[in-house]
Amino acid sequence: MGAILEAKDLHLAFKGVKALTGVSFQVQPGEFFAVIGPNGAGKTTLLNVLSGVYEPEKGEVFFLGENLRGKSPQERARMGLGRTFQGLEIFRGMSVLENVKLGAELALPTYPLALPRAQREGQLRAWAEEVLDYLHLSPFRHAPAGMLPYGLQKRVEVARALAGRPKLLLLDEPMAGLALEEKQDLARFLLDAREEWGITLLWVEHDLRAVLELSDRVLVLSYGEVLYYGPPEGVRKDPKVVEAYLGQA
Amino acid sequence: MYPLAKRLTDAFSHRYARAVRETYGEDEAYASTPLGRLALGVFLALLLLLPLLLGPYPMYVATLVAIGALSALGLHLLVGGAGQISLGHAAFMGVGAYAASHLTGPLAPLGILLGGGIAALLGLVLGLPSLRIKGVYLAIATLAFQFLADYAFKNWEAVTGGIRGRTLPPAELLGLPLDTPERLWYLVLLFALPLFFYGKRLLATRAGRAFMAVRDNDLSARVAGVDLVRVKLFAFALSAFYAGVAGGLLAQLYKAVTPEYFPLSVSIQYLAMVIVGGAGTVLGAVLGAFFVLLIPEVLNSFVGALGPQYAATLAAWRNVAFGLLILVFLILEPLGLVGLWGRIRNYFRTWPLPY
Repeated sequence: MGAILEAKDLHLAFKGVKALTGVSFQVQPGEFFAVIGPNGAGKTTLLNVLSGVYEPEKGEVFFLGENLRGKSPQERARMGLGRTFQGLEIFRGMSVLENVKLGAELALPTYPLALPRAQREGQLRAWAEEVLDYLHLSPFRHAPAGMLPYGLQKRVEVARALAGRPKLLLLDEPMAGLALEEKQDLARFLLDAREEWGITLLWVEHDLRAVLELSDRVLVLSYGEVLYYGPPEGVRKDPKVVEAYLGQA
Repeated sequence: MYPLAKRLTDAFSHRYARAVRETYGEDEAYASTPLGRLALGVFLALLLLLPLLLGPYPMYVATLVAIGALSALGLHLLVGGAGQISLGHAAFMGVGAYAASHLTGPLAPLGILLGGGIAALLGLVLGLPSLRIKGVYLAIATLAFQFLADYAFKNWEAVTGGIRGRTLPPAELLGLPLDTPERLWYLVLLFALPLFFYGKRLLATRAGRAFMAVRDNDLSARVAGVDLVRVKLFAFALSAFYAGVAGGLLAQLYKAVTPEYFPLSVSIQYLAMVIVGGAGTVLGAVLGAFFVLLIPEVLNSFVGALGPQYAATLAAWRNVAFGLLILVFLILEPLGLVGLWGRIRNYFRTWPLPY
């Protein structure tokens, strides 16, 4: 099997501001793929294009070999393309358990009518509890998600996305605002999820150290253009990246 | 001797008095513990026997509150559940009432269902603007519907009887005329119980989570695989169905339908029920309906007790007192009566050792 996700020559501009120009890359199955770049580089725009919130003006996205053009975010989610957001986009009024169950619906989508509701709900609960346990969220299952501290809310969002058993999970700055210890925990969870459930990960992140340590390959964006695309070791050596991102040494 | 007694009491407490759920399945199920089932049974029996316990006037009020609670639940699913707003709830009740007024007598249950169905179709239509607009703008769109419906009620004489409205012969169930509130109560239960059960389960399962996801964060909901269009339209149609059924029942209770029963102020009254009752639960809808429909009755009898010479002055103050009570709720107990009930329950659950 080839790439799980392929972006071909993506272009998108907002009233003349070029957010993406000719962005192409491939993500291989099982990879931990990072997208980095200075503020305003188009990282979040790229994720929005991949998950279907925006439609690119030019270029195509292929997921599992299928062209995603015209597919709505919810269709993409059902195909196995998960997503978390920068900042907190959890369902604040719902309990942690309900958040995760909502995500878990995607993991059992095919027999909505075959099972009696109670039994289905029981199955959903069992799977949701597994995810909660895995992310150490079980003690908070009935707490309203919006009442939890920031770090836990971020983890709820990751749990919600993981519960859907996506084939590819797009993470938008999952570590922003977390303490070092929380970052290490999250890195552990993500690597384990990849190991155990075979989830391919694509993440946008500002913490360079974490990115270079954890990722298999890195895409560097600046003003919507690809500056670098390759293994993490090369990032610090690439003169263009050093100039645009790391600053003059 | 002791071990046997202990074993017996243990077996008893495990079998019957168990108040703790032990599996995830039980935690998901409704009334899963024996104690919970007992409470539910007693409650249902009480509902069935209520006409034997209460006199005609309290029974009239009870029927009114039950119908109000049913309608409030519908609005509650839309507002508290899916986070949409509607100022046209009374209009949907009116649609249900007029539709039901055309099929009465032995066909009354059918007429009430038909009213719910027509209201649901109109709800679907009213749901369309919600796909584009939110909040205050949506409120204005639903307000327009309320006024349109009001106009139709007054002027579409062939169907609504115009200003004079329509009168209904009493409904019949199994050949028995339901001409008193005591008898009509059972027709109300026939519709309200399944709809309450459905509403409660809805909020605890897939569709309910989709509702709340749309309420809390529609962008995130889409990315989590929720179909916004379907959820919003379903929420509007469902809410209108509840209103339509409640309207049909109300027409049976009043034995008449006129445009005055369903003005904008009633829509707002129902929104007040949702707010006072508290968001998120079915219990909230019931408590809100109790409060909003009963307090005026209580204040009325209070005014009556003071003597007729004060009636006119105090009638105005009644509205002020009512408004003040709602304000007090908004400020002191934003979670509504449900929040209050939750705190009372937790107090007794841990009593006498709260720590």
